[in-house]
Amino acid sequence: MALFNLSRDPVNALLRLQQELEQAFQNPRGLDLGPSGRGVLPPVNVFRKDQDVVVRFEVPGFAPEELSIESRGQTLTVSGKRAQESASEGAYHRRERIAGEFARSIQLPREVDPAQAEATCKHGVLTVRVPARAEAKPRQIAVAAQ
Amino acid sequence: MTTQAENTRPGRTYQPKVDILETDGGLRLWAELPGVDEASIQVELVDGVLALRGRVATDEYAELEPLYTEYGVGDFDARFRLSNTIDGERIQAKLRHGVLELELPKVAAAKPRRIEIAR
Repeated sequence: MALFNLSRDPVNALLRLQQELEQAFQNPRGLDLGPSGRGVLPPVNVFRKDQDVVVRFEVPGFAPEELSIESRGQTLTVSGKRAQESASEGAYHRRERIAGEFARSIQLPREVDPAQAEATCKHGVLTVRVPARAEAKPRQIAVAAQ
Repeated sequence: MTTQAENTRPGRTYQPKVDILETDGGLRLWAELPGVDEASIQVELVDGVLALRGRVATDEYAELEPLYTEYGVGDFDARFRLSNTIDGERIQAKLRHGVLELELPKVAAAKPRRIEIAR
């Protein structure tokens, strides 16, 4: 599609360009690249809360028992497997959701201890909280009076 | 140029990922609304347009400092124009693990009917 076609109706073309750009900004993925440009892995957000690291995955459609979390060293792996809602009849008009299974690993900073991680899953959002190692926490050093 | 109603709540609004399956009996629609609870979903059918809206509670993000982000957190909004073959009175909705499932049955007249040939 030609974005610029100023020869015919310049005002209308500019309005259309503005619309296109507005849509691109509203779309969280920016300019839509079509199905091939989309990720097939659940997106992740990583936060810091006090000294801990909080990792959030968007996994809508996965029940808590369909998810598994594993840590090895500083690597945290989240995988999910769900029974596909197979359509024995009918036809899909749209299919945008991730189906089947996924596995995703992320590397955590050394200051946190994945062995102590705790996870909760609510309304399709998986939250893993990885606490800071004791030695990474700030420590008050008492000044001894002499 | 078409004009859209403006959003009256500050913050970003996202289009949910959607699957739509059509069967002989009707349509089934799944919309991904991660982070939205039952009380914060609004499903409306006005003038043949099905509107889904989900509000995400963002207060728990207040004390989180982002280090790396791949997805934005915000409300969900989607609109679908339905054909008049859908029976608006019998639409059913449920929410499971952040996915809104809608059953949209067709009106009886729109279902395929097999006509027997008399011998």
